[in-house]
Parts: sequence; structure tokens; C-alpha cells
Amino acid sequence: MSDILTKAGLRELAKEWIAEGKVVAGPVQTKPGLVLYAPLASADDIVWEGFVRPANSVKEFVFPRHELLCRYHLEGNRVELTNGEAELAAQILLGVRPCDAAALPILDHVFNWDYRDEAYNRRREATTVVTLACSSHDESCFCTSVGLGPQAERGSDVMLFDLGEEFEVRCLTDKGRALFAGKTQASERTAPLSKGPKPRFTPEHIKQFVDEQFASPFWQDETLACLGCGACAYNCPTCHCFDIVDEGNSQNGERVRNWDSCQFVQFTLHASGHNPRPEQGSRQRQRVLHKFSIYPDKFGEILCTGCGNCTRNCPEGQGLLTLLTEIEHAG
Amino acid sequence: MPDIYTPDLMAVVGVRRHTPDVKSVRIRFQSQERASQFDFRVGQFGIFSAFGYGESTFNICSSSNWKDSLEFCFRKVGRVTEALWRVEEGDTLGFRGPYGNGYPMEKWEGKNLIFLGGGIAMPPIRCAIWYALENRAKYGDITIVYGARTVADLVYVNELEEWAKRDRVRVIQCVDPGGQTPEWKGEVGFVPTVFERAKVAAENSVVLVIGPPIMIKNTLPILDKLGIGAHSVYTSLENRMKCGVGKCGRCNAGPVYVCKEGPVFTMEQLQKLPQDY
Repeated sequence: MSDILTKAGLRELAKEWIAEGKVVAGPVQTKPGLVLYAPLASADDIVWEGFVRPANSVKEFVFPRHELLCRYHLEGNRVELTNGEAELAAQILLGVRPCDAAALPILDHVFNWDYRDEAYNRRREATTVVTLACSSHDESCFCTSVGLGPQAERGSDVMLFDLGEEFEVRCLTDKGRALFAGKTQASERTAPLSKGPKPRFTPEHIKQFVDEQFASPFWQDETLACLGCGACAYNCPTCHCFDIVDEGNSQNGERVRNWDSCQFVQFTLHASGHNPRPEQGSRQRQRVLHKFSIYPDKFGEILCTGCGNCTRNCPEGQGLLTLLTEIEHAG
Repeated sequence: MPDIYTPDLMAVVGVRRHTPDVKSVRIRFQSQERASQFDFRVGQFGIFSAFGYGESTFNICSSSNWKDSLEFCFRKVGRVTEALWRVEEGDTLGFRGPYGNGYPMEKWEGKNLIFLGGGIAMPPIRCAIWYALENRAKYGDITIVYGARTVADLVYVNELEEWAKRDRVRVIQCVDPGGQTPEWKGEVGFVPTVFERAKVAAENSVVLVIGPPIMIKNTLPILDKLGIGAHSVYTSLENRMKCGVGKCGRCNAGPVYVCKEGPVFTMEQLQKLPQDY
């Protein structure tokens, strides 16, 4: 037995959600050849087929690339700070890929160890994740190498499976059931299991290599082509490094946090001029180290969901997968 | 709910110029309530801000026994410190903290303390020196070797002179060769060399050494020769930070987040870390 909903029915539901004032976001064709997760102006904007996955990730809905922390106002030598918190609308992320959904519970760890990051948490709590199981993959996908897969449920409130004219709907949480209760029909049809890409490496090998080969010329040799543009990090579902800056003048302005990336020269540059990671190889090493060693040691999880966005978006065609398969072969 | 990134508002209660490009600023909580709740350990750091310019990370260089105000010291090198340079008494700054682990002052009780500092590294040592002097009976002999490039680059000079008058405190000031003036009465030479020449008794000692990487590197073999083990040699790392609370992903040295597990480490701990600081 299963629950199903026609595609037209889901479109009608999305229309209702938008009409209720909820933010509904999903894959949108923003220009020819480019699909991005974006808020839907209309339920008809969402695209379900014809692409493997969006070029960005859903992290920006819980961790925006530019976020107000507080406003400041100076009157003489007095300062007034006001909280940046506007009311948050409930948001529904629709048609999310499993490799994006899985990133959210992974990110919960870093934003909540010791100090709780309420800016992140309140967005996270306002969000319901409706995931579409993958029915295709490309040569950049490697979810199965990091313990996930095309039907992985991690981080999803609802799983949808494409059955042609309908979706099979599996509600996994109360948040998910609240959206779909009474909207589906019972059916005999269920989605077949799908396998996803062939595993490309073993995470334990990567951890061992990066822990043991910190000073190896491997990093510089293998990343000579890297431009340090940060596209890998910006489009990664799990990269979460940020900067805090003031924007405004000396009377009025905002303290904001912006995405940052360990691939940038200035990321670790000391005021003295000393830089612990002076060349691109050391910065690429940091990205692998953080994802496959530091994060697992601290939080018990790999900071990578195998989405392959770092490779798809890399102007040099590199990305993590290139490095990780090199490491696997270097052994 | 107050956000972890929203700073406390602090009134500037004192500004002191130490060198042509180093100043220290004393600040006080505007909120009585926050002031009464606040406590810290010497060796911890804060994130200080000039509104409109941004935040910067500095050690809290006052003693934790001084309840009236906090102090930080900085060199004018960038956007935020240029703005802090213009601050006057009565102005308002932002402060977040205290963050990090601090010095294990309790563990150092009963030991002789050796402080080795270079240049702008005096402030993070100064808080520990004052703390030890304010709990004098708990600590043994105190040796302070402090050097800078030139005489004009030494900071907290008057306090160095004050410390030198105390019982069982030896203060050695030095400047790099060529940095002396005709009136200079201190030593000429680099901190590691001057320290070696001073023949400080090493028994039952802990060392706090902070300064440029080259100074620390050249000091370690001397400490080793004196028989002071790496577990008794402490330093404070200065990795770049933004959040201070283990989230922004910037300050890690290999597996450790300097803002949370540091900034204070023993050399024994650092020897196990990759060269990422």
C-alpha cells in the first residue's frame, strides 16, 4: 500500500501554500541550461524533469548568503542596536534532492554545539523539506560513496517518488504529515528501489590519507589548476564558512554575515601578514580535511553528501570528486 | 532572545597610546546587569567592534581581578583597527566574549613563571603577569623577558618598570640589534638569545611564550636545553577568527578549533598538530 498524489494535485497544493503566505521554493529554470533552487512566484514555475539537480543547494534557505545580524544607529557617541529579526514565513522546500536534504541535519551540529545559532535555528524550524527521490544521476554524482543514495530519507520531512503522472508520497515527520494529510489517495503502486551511482571511494581511506599526508606535495600538485574562486563552496550543501562585516556608514548600518570560503587567500590571512595557508594546495587540503576528518571527528558525520556540485560548478572541471578519486587510487 | 553575534555595548573609559601604531583601550559595560554577570579567565579573548567598520579579535589584556573595566590592545594595521585608533573616551564600542580557554593559572600555582614576549605579544602576557602578582603567594619567582624591534615599539613600558620593583620579579627588556637608542639601558639582542644569556633557573618552571613564529621557533631549543619540557611551555595562537564560537570555519589548526579548544596550548599539544597556524 502507498499514498499517491497526482502531479496536477501537487501543483494545486503548492498554489494553496503560496496563497497562504508560505514561501515555497523549488527547482526553477532561471535561464536556458541553468536550474536553481529559488522561491516560486507561481506554482507553475517549478521544473520536475530534464536535469539531474540544481546548480545551487537549499542551504541558502536556512543559512542565507547574506544575513542581517543586527542594525546599529549612532547618535553622537551613543549607539543603539536593534534586532534584525523580521517575522519569518513558514517555508516549504519542494523537489529537493536527497543530497540537499541530508545536508541540513549535518549542518545542525555545527550551528548548535555549545553556542546555539538562533539565526540559523529559526529558519531551520520554519522549514519543511519535501524531497524528490532521484531517478537519474550524472558522472559527478557520488552520494553512494558517502553513505547516502538516490532514495535516502535523511533530513526530509516528506519523500516523493516519481511514478509518471503521480507521485508516491511518504511522510516521514509530523511537519510533513501536516502538509499532506488528507491530500493523497491510497494506491497499490509503489516506487521501485533505485541504486544510484557506483561508489567511487571509501571515506575512511580519505580520512586516513588527509590525516597522514598533511605536508605532502600531493595537494599542490593535484590542485595547480584551482583558481581559488570558491564556486565549490558556494554551491555546496554543507560548506558553511562565513564572515561577519559591517555594511553602512559611521551613523547607520547593519552587521551582516556573508558566506565565505576556505578557498580564498584572505580567509586565514593574519593581520601580521602571516598566512598559515599561503598556497591553493593548502586551501584545497583544508576543504578535504574539514569534510572528511575534522567534521567526522567532532560531530560523527562526513561534511559531504556527494551531490557533485563542486565538480559541476568548477570552471576547471575539478571539484572534490576529482581529488577524492585521486586519493583513492594513491591509496 | 539575544543573538550570539549581537555585541554588548561598551563605554570607552580610557585610551592610551603606547607607540606610533599601538594603543590600548579600556571599556566598561553600559548595562549594569551585564557588568555584574561578567567574568573571564586571563588568556581568554574577546571580539571587539567599531560600529560601521566591523569586528576584530584581541586578547582581553586586563587582569580578571579588575572588575571595573576590560582592556584590549591593538596595532593599527587595517580597517577595524584604523577605526579603533580614532576612538575617544566616552565613545561606544561593541564587545562579545569572553571566548576560548584561557591560561591554567590554578595549575601554575606553586611554580616559577617565565614570561617571554615579543612586540605586540606583551598584552596577552600582561594579563597573566598582573593576575600572578595579585595572587603573589601562589606563585614562585617571576621572570619576564620582553623585546621589540626598536625602543619605540615597546608597549606597557611603565608597567614593566613597576613589575621590576616587585619582590622576586626579574624584568629583562631588549630590542633587536639596531633598534636601540643612545639612552637605552636594556639589552640588545633577540628575545631567545637574551633569555639564554640571562641564565634563568629552570627548575619547577612553566613558560608562557608569545610572539612572532620565528621568535617562538628559536626559543624552543633553548627551553629544551634548560630541561623545561614541552608540556610546561604554553603559547597562545593567533589564528584569524570571525565568530569566536566554533562556527565560521576559519580558525582551525588541523583538527582543533582555536577559538574553542584554544587559543592557549602547550607546545606538547602543538607538536601533535599539523603546521596549520
